Amino acid sequence: MAIGYFSRFGVTERMISETLTAALSRGGDFADVFFQHKIGADLSLEDGAVNRAYASVELGVGVRVVKGDQTGYGYTEELTPEALVAAARTAATIADGPSRPGPVALHVAPARASRYPLVRPWEEVRPEEKLPLLVDLEQRAFAADPRIRKVNAHLRDESGAVLIADSRGRIVEDRQPMTLLSLSCVAEQDGRREQNGYNVAARAGFEFYTQERLDRVVTEAIARTTVLFEAGPPPAGEMPVVLAAGSSGILLHEAIGHGMEADFNRKGTSIYADKIGKRIAAPFVNIMDDGTQPAARGSINVDDEGNTAGATRLVEGGVLTTFLHDEISARHYGVSPTGNGRRESYRHAPLPRMRSTYMLPGPHSRDEILRSVKRGLYCVGFSNGQVAIGAGDFTFYVKNGWLIEDGRLTRPVKDVNLVGNGPKVLEKVDMVGDDLEIDEGGWTCGKDGQSVPVSQGLPTVRVASMTVGGRGSGR
Amino acid sequence: MSETLLDAARRAATLALAKGAGACAVGAWRARNVEVTWRDGKVEKATEATTRALGLELYVDGRYAAVSTSDLRPDALARFIEDAVALARTISPDPFRRLPEPELYAGRAGLDLELDDPDYGRVTAETRRGWAQAIEAGARAADPQGRIISATGSTGDTQVESAIVHTDGFEGTRHATDFWISGEAAVLDPDGRRPEEYAAAGSRFWGALERPEEIGRRAATRALSRIGTVKGESALMTVAVEARAAGRMASMLFGPLSASALQQKRSFLDGKLGETIGSPLLDVRDDPFVKRGFGSRLFDGEGIAAKPFPIFEQGALRSYYVDTYYGRKLGMRPTTGRMSNHAWVPGTRSLDDLLADAKEALLITGFLGGNSNGTTGDFSLGVKGFRVRGGAIAEPVGEMNLSGNHLELWKRLAAVGNDPYPYSAMRTPTLVFEGVQVAGL
Repeated sequence: MAIGYFSRFGVTERMISETLTAALSRGGDFADVFFQHKIGADLSLEDGAVNRAYASVELGVGVRVVKGDQTGYGYTEELTPEALVAAARTAATIADGPSRPGPVALHVAPARASRYPLVRPWEEVRPEEKLPLLVDLEQRAFAADPRIRKVNAHLRDESGAVLIADSRGRIVEDRQPMTLLSLSCVAEQDGRREQNGYNVAARAGFEFYTQERLDRVVTEAIARTTVLFEAGPPPAGEMPVVLAAGSSGILLHEAIGHGMEADFNRKGTSIYADKIGKRIAAPFVNIMDDGTQPAARGSINVDDEGNTAGATRLVEGGVLTTFLHDEISARHYGVSPTGNGRRESYRHAPLPRMRSTYMLPGPHSRDEILRSVKRGLYCVGFSNGQVAIGAGDFTFYVKNGWLIEDGRLTRPVKDVNLVGNGPKVLEKVDMVGDDLEIDEGGWTCGKDGQSVPVSQGLPTVRVASMTVGGRGSGR
Repeated sequence: MSETLLDAARRAATLALAKGAGACAVGAWRARNVEVTWRDGKVEKATEATTRALGLELYVDGRYAAVSTSDLRPDALARFIEDAVALARTISPDPFRRLPEPELYAGRAGLDLELDDPDYGRVTAETRRGWAQAIEAGARAADPQGRIISATGSTGDTQVESAIVHTDGFEGTRHATDFWISGEAAVLDPDGRRPEEYAAAGSRFWGALERPEEIGRRAATRALSRIGTVKGESALMTVAVEARAAGRMASMLFGPLSASALQQKRSFLDGKLGETIGSPLLDVRDDPFVKRGFGSRLFDGEGIAAKPFPIFEQGALRSYYVDTYYGRKLGMRPTTGRMSNHAWVPGTRSLDDLLADAKEALLITGFLGGNSNGTTGDFSLGVKGFRVRGGAIAEPVGEMNLSGNHLELWKRLAAVGNDPYPYSAMRTPTLVFEGVQVAGL
């Protein structure tokens, strides 16, 4: 096999070999080189016209040297042998011993079956084809409800590739497509304004935008905006919370996912650091972090260290089973990497990160779960969340939800933050529905200043009690 | 070096015109970034690089495209610009898109803002490692009982140069440095939780940085004070927001002041110019001329000559943040599209004095997630901090929430500290609000 995509930039096996040799010139244990070429294209519709286009190219390379759990890192935008060797020598200074040999031979990994095969790759889609999609969304949004006053639509696509080579002699290339479509509306009623929207994302080509999906984008954006006129804040304080199937997977992302990233556990700073093998939830709670789902935004063929991304079981039968590992933490714990070593770009060293995080279906039905709640909150739409890894406290922000009274959804609620503590909340997950949905939205996870695309999913789930950041006692 | 960057920007501008753009604005930048993280007795991570990129805003036959690239190989750049011009031609025209009116460039102040440390090159790898190590040492020294699980000291500095060239003749260059040190400590609570806290300091000049040991000590002291955190009750109460945390509150108020939010009907401050938004204590100017300030500048990203202007005066809204594009759409005169530094009229009392006066209150020392709806002003934010009892700091509290609406909240601003936070361009002082909704138990 020969180098594929990156040969167009003059990247050769010899260049890689010399770089890795320079990287180990002061005795690191391990080194890798990460080449990235990312082409982003954005079209935006505002005030009735697609009147702005954005394009970006990121081309660069990062060199990492690892010595134990120490990391040296350098990067450059110049893909010349001189610049690469200079970056490697910078990274090499993390170690201070005699040099170690670079790889004896390099092997380009054979192409694999992609988890994101493209029918219409973005390189082949002309702007003239994309424009009508945005214009159509806008017209349908205005036609759907007379209260709509402003519509913004945005289409982003990414193409390009990464190449990872390491001091074991592995060379892995992967194409990494992505697309995201968002529709945002401002509505007015009786002098009041409300704004909301909906978005969909995938590692897919232009074929992703089927009529059915576009219909849903319009319907959801309108419904989620106009319902806000009837919505108010829920009461403040602790109450039962039911999470709707789908994007409620944000609960897992914040309550347990980050805490299971092995770097925090290696340092002892996660609240889950000493909980492997222990029961943390009811036996019907099973939680996955999965890089294998076809076309999912959080899916990856290989991680940014060249390791195959698998499906990792975080919680099995309520028992904590494994952390999410990158190369450094896997070496530290003496286990195989789980394919969770990810990075935002060549400007960053990889870290253990989530991919698509979800809970497997459980024994209860949605109706049964809703009927069980005397007075509580039903959460449907979310905007963001955050966690304090060590204390375990986390939050997520509910954009759309409903009050549950006597087992029925009564009035809509909006703009409320929910607060919990990870391990405590997982213990309080007392019903899990049979209706798992992986959300199709464009979720992005931030950690240490690096953003990576992720997915999340959940069946309908009941948490016996969480703190709801509403207003008044409502009693 | 800077001549080269300016030349690169000029060349790109010329190239864009040659490829068919009617006008364009080019920004070029180059930055050296160095970061060192020291944890538990050794360097954990060291990163060093010089990085660069080029961005162009293209005006083509009444149409607009904005593009950026880090692939500056001459052939690739020429092809990239050609493609960008072709891309612009495919979309709809926009009569509001053009370079800024040249009179906005006029009157650039001739001040030395002291943003560039001439001694940057004297900071060595050993200096940085020494700082990072000293931060950990400071943290450990503040923990005689050995409750720290992990202590980290970090340093990061950048030396950035940038050049802006417009095809109507505007040119500007900028050199700046900044240095940051931060400490992070995680401690073991007897109940198994591992609360962590941080402290940080920054400066444009490395000689003016706070002592790293002090940053470590502060991080450890803050983390240790979290041991035994409980959830407090849900109530309407007086809330004091520590100066460092108050930037989050202020940013939710200032974001909706942008002309884009106004024009897109996504601002709860739309149509409120001249109206009273807060108590008389809400008094803030935008001041681009703070010496060594993190937001200081002589011109903004569009080339508009910077000058100070009032945002709130005694609670009344005086100005919006207006860029040229949305300014044209709204028929409003541009100020600037992006904040520089905020200058609050400070109070006369310290945080301790303010808490003593408040007697029963919640002191917020950090936010966790949450959000603010810029269209309606509703907000709901996760918080941690301390219960204040009898005017003194009592038990640490967490897993709590603060909610309300900004149009009510800022009218309840009852006191402002004398302590503007120096390590952010927002420079918020401690803010005390009365009668705010807190959720917990």
